[in-house]
Amino acid sequence: MTTREQDGAPSAPRPPLLELRQVTVDYQSRRGSVPAVRGVDLTVDAGQTLGLAGESGCGKSTLAMSVLRLLPRSAQLGGDVLLDGENVRDMSWGRLRAVRWASASVVFQGAMHALNPVRPIGEQIAEPLRLHRSTTPGAVRARVNELLDQVELPVARSTAYPHELSGGQRQRVMIAMALACSPRLIIADEPTTALDVIVQAQILDLLSRLVTERELGLLMISHDLSVLAACCERLAVMYQGRIVEEGPSTDVVRTPTHPHSIALAAAFPTVGDPASRLVTPRDTTPDTPPLLEARGVSVTFPGRGGTTTRAVSDASLTVHPDEIVALVGQSGSGKTTLARTLLGLQQPTAGEVRFEGHRLPRSARALRAYRRQAQLVLQDPTGALNPRHSVYEAVAEGLRIHRIPGDETAAVADALNQAELRPPEEFFTALPHELSGGQRQRVVIAGALALRPRLLIADEPVASLDASVRGEILALLLRLRVDLGLSTLVITHDLGLAWNIADRVIVMYQGRIVEEGTVEQVLLDPRHDYTRTLLAAVPEPLTGRAAATPNTTDPTRQEPTDDPTEVTGV
Amino acid sequence: MSDLLTPGDQLTEEAGEEQRPARGGLARYLASKLAGALTSLLLVVLLGFFLFRMLPGDPVQTMTAGREVTAEQIAELRERLGLSDPLWRQFLDYLGALLQGDFGDSFRYGRPVGDIILERLGPTILLAGTATVLAILLGLWLGVRSAWRHGSRFDRTATGVALTLWSVPTFWLGLIVLMVFAVGVGPLPGLFPTGGIRSIDPPPGLLPQILDVAHHLVLPCLTMVAVIFAQYQMVMRSSLLEEMGSDYLTTARAKGLREDLVRRRHAVPNALLPSVTLIFLHLGLVVSGAIMVETVFSWPGLGYLMVNALEYPDLPLMQGTFIVLAGTVIVMNVLADVVYRFLDPRVRAA
Amino acid sequence: MTTPTSTRALTWQRRGRALRTGWRSFRAQRGALAGLAVLLTIVALAVLAPVLTDESQLGIINTMSNPALAPPSGEFWLGTDENGRSVLLLTWWGARVSLLVGLAATLLSVFIGTFVGIVSAHFGGWLSAVLLRFTDFFLVLPSLVLAIALSTVLSRGVGTIVLAIGLTAWPTTARLVRAQTLTVQARPYIERSTALGAGHGHLIAKHILPGVLPLVFANTTLAVASAVIAESTLSFLGLGDPTQISWGSMLKFAMDSGAVTNGAWWYLLPPGLGIVCVVLSFTLCGRGLETVLNPRLRGR
Repeated sequence: MTTREQDGAPSAPRPPLLELRQVTVDYQSRRGSVPAVRGVDLTVDAGQTLGLAGESGCGKSTLAMSVLRLLPRSAQLGGDVLLDGENVRDMSWGRLRAVRWASASVVFQGAMHALNPVRPIGEQIAEPLRLHRSTTPGAVRARVNELLDQVELPVARSTAYPHELSGGQRQRVMIAMALACSPRLIIADEPTTALDVIVQAQILDLLSRLVTERELGLLMISHDLSVLAACCERLAVMYQGRIVEEGPSTDVVRTPTHPHSIALAAAFPTVGDPASRLVTPRDTTPDTPPLLEARGVSVTFPGRGGTTTRAVSDASLTVHPDEIVALVGQSGSGKTTLARTLLGLQQPTAGEVRFEGHRLPRSARALRAYRRQAQLVLQDPTGALNPRHSVYEAVAEGLRIHRIPGDETAAVADALNQAELRPPEEFFTALPHELSGGQRQRVVIAGALALRPRLLIADEPVASLDASVRGEILALLLRLRVDLGLSTLVITHDLGLAWNIADRVIVMYQGRIVEEGTVEQVLLDPRHDYTRTLLAAVPEPLTGRAAATPNTTDPTRQEPTDDPTEVTGV
Repeated sequence: MSDLLTPGDQLTEEAGEEQRPARGGLARYLASKLAGALTSLLLVVLLGFFLFRMLPGDPVQTMTAGREVTAEQIAELRERLGLSDPLWRQFLDYLGALLQGDFGDSFRYGRPVGDIILERLGPTILLAGTATVLAILLGLWLGVRSAWRHGSRFDRTATGVALTLWSVPTFWLGLIVLMVFAVGVGPLPGLFPTGGIRSIDPPPGLLPQILDVAHHLVLPCLTMVAVIFAQYQMVMRSSLLEEMGSDYLTTARAKGLREDLVRRRHAVPNALLPSVTLIFLHLGLVVSGAIMVETVFSWPGLGYLMVNALEYPDLPLMQGTFIVLAGTVIVMNVLADVVYRFLDPRVRAA
Repeated sequence: MTTPTSTRALTWQRRGRALRTGWRSFRAQRGALAGLAVLLTIVALAVLAPVLTDESQLGIINTMSNPALAPPSGEFWLGTDENGRSVLLLTWWGARVSLLVGLAATLLSVFIGTFVGIVSAHFGGWLSAVLLRFTDFFLVLPSLVLAIALSTVLSRGVGTIVLAIGLTAWPTTARLVRAQTLTVQARPYIERSTALGAGHGHLIAKHILPGVLPLVFANTTLAVASAVIAESTLSFLGLGDPTQISWGSMLKFAMDSGAVTNGAWWYLLPPGLGIVCVVLSFTLCGRGLETVLNPRLRGR
């Protein structure tokens, strides 16, 4: 309490809102202690915004949790965590409980899990109010309504349960909850991960606006440098438990010095920046007949009670030999369903898919021959590999299914070589969990290459990989085109990726293809409103648009009705 | 048993089913549940009817065993029982009668099976009901405490006791309890009656009679509680452990809630939901427990009735008890589904 | 250079390593280890019973001269039954039938359960719907009631008991396997395999079965425990083979001969404790295996 009294003394300088001094966190395990955070110094003052960037496992979330001592029991906290000048480590449980949420609150990652699924959201927002402020039920209700209003949610939604809200709405609830007791510091842990670009932009706008209006301190954590740069004045890059670089956002993004920051910055390219365009632009589509062609493909799924959900409507596209095409859209836009249909994993309800001019057969037996021509690379390489199968078995699986004659070992070694896992023999007996994320994705690619396909359909091939690995996999896809003449259809939500490697872009929105053209045409001079909105939503680290000018005239202020399962009527 | 110990795996499946958008409303849901239950009931009747027809031996011979009967009398009896009709005809007759609440006449007692079952229903409900309520309360309480402090001495002891009692055959525990507390061992006198629901010469007055029944109820009820509480405890413990790592508990802690409030307001309500389904799924165990306990303590309930019918063998009575016991469990499961739907907002229609 | 054969050899080496790791994790759980030790001892004793004991003493003819229902003494460590037979000997031999029935019935039920579970989860459509409905029906049916009904209508014998338990115990396995199959099927590697051209046979043999079997194995261990209890219950109700001595039938004879009213605890305790030991050991082993296979349960 001594520090509190100092607060009142006019002569003493006000201590920073949050000060971390040589903070360490070690996890005790059976094999001894594992350091997660190794000596971090950081300061956040009132009204300041600090972004903490890093890849998964770098210790950034652990660091965030240590501020309110929310670490699991196996974690040991060292150093000083000063909240308003008071050391969190020395607080009694009672004092700590009083400080939690009232002095600093948290916007957790993945609001679906961070909200109690069986209680209405209004009640959950009201809970800290009742706990920290002895107010009347009427006052609590008024405050909840006020908070819902501030995060632009209809007051009537206070009786809704978390599962009845969309991802963006849930994140708004989390923000309302964090503001409930008017804390001076907000810690946002990956607040927009798993949200669509457009919804992400809205949430970032909202958060920045509220923080600016209230002069709150904000500590925001993300793996996405561009998100942080759009919201925060200062950036700190964390790597293996240490802060490797810290400075004003623009400096860290524009002129990173540490190799890890450089890799992180490169992973979020600026659309329109020629430096991040990895292919030579082509002006026209090639004259050759298309390798793959979809004509008026529609896919509908039967719903309950006789209703149907139309995932893809009348979609037509072509992929030519020796071409990389990006199919861009938000989640729920139908792009994955379209990809599955192109592979024959899903039957179209209308329209047809042609490969080299021949219509895709429907029978399983006939489709098997097609599978040797067109192969799939999935988003999550960890899930795409059977954890019990060695690399050799995984790569040889296709060869065995198709009973391809010849030297199996040589074919597997060849495929691994092409996927740049060298020397291949050293990877034969490795199990997926012994490999890094990037290596796993290479194994998946090698498994596809072993069948010597003409076309690769890659569904978000780098979305689940760490930023620093992303570049390597994209480079591999480009090299495969040069070396093997492989055509690739990349399915992605990430416009930056399209800008990186694609020749042509196809934009999909609500099951329809709304725009198509070369990368330069579409991304630099978009015709369709949706493409423009999508481009506008991409955080632009260099201008700091979101933080500086909250865009209130954004036409997409309303949550887009992108995902029919997520949006529920009132 | 196995799914008692691994509720997590069942839950994954149920969670998957929940993710489907809940449309169509309550009426539709109820209709489908009722249709399912009716199919199950019909299957039970079908099973009960044809299974017991496979019994070796002729029911008429069993009935007339030890008596002088003529061939005409036998033929007449067969005719009266409808045994000379083709099997499908017999089944349709049986089903028709069943719909009017007629289970046929007992071979042994010569009275309508329905009446006998009704008489025995009360004692079974008294015994199984009391024991289930006590076991659920005890099990849930122990399960919550164990899970919240898992790894502690309390948890290890409680789990060890539960597992051991779980491994004890019901009837054997009954025999031991009977020997120790009703017959008496060494210097210990018999404290409780050895069987039945009331004394041969019940005391006059309502209260003394209630006390008399309660006195008779103690041992069978204790035995049953001991055998079935463990499953509730383990189910609750696993469900709560499943919830313990959840992010929303971190949120609750971050809000500054005391640990017991985090537990009471957030963890337990979530853990209770899967427990409810599992508790009802294991109702069959309660029925098995009741059969064995009633047999050992000669408790005049449905289970004892069934075992008696088995020994005779009394075909209509066996069919009747089989249908009633199995039917009860099916009906209770439908109730559980409906209750669950009201409890869990995720399943409740949006 | 590595050839396919040596690749296979390396694969086996890897499996050996995985097995050793699993064993280490199993060994770390004291309860599971104790359960395994008790179990192995009981199984060894049961198997060796004909070698170590005099089978003729099980016949009533040879024990006429012995005292009936005598309490434990120097000659009969656990006393005698109503026919003057040694309770120790009866318990020893009873273990054989109890274990045999428990194991055989479990194999039957696990086989049915695994088959139904995988088929109902892997192949969608009406087959899956019918199987699921069927499983749910048997799941809620009180299994003891059904087992009683089954063993009543079939001829008395060990085979009948195995059948009665096996045919009533499978739904829990089926549910478990179905859930696990659905989980495995949701994994992207199934999609990858399909895209590579795999058919149902390949998917089930290479991906689903290996993913489901470990769980089935742990489940089997737990299922034996309940099968042993079920056997003793059915025998106690007089539905078993009257000529075979099992723990359940011993308790039936004890009850019929008035052991309870005579306070003949030495007749009641050994078979019951035998059941408890075996069931508890199997349960502890099963839980131990589950923990090895599902690291999420560790420390529970």
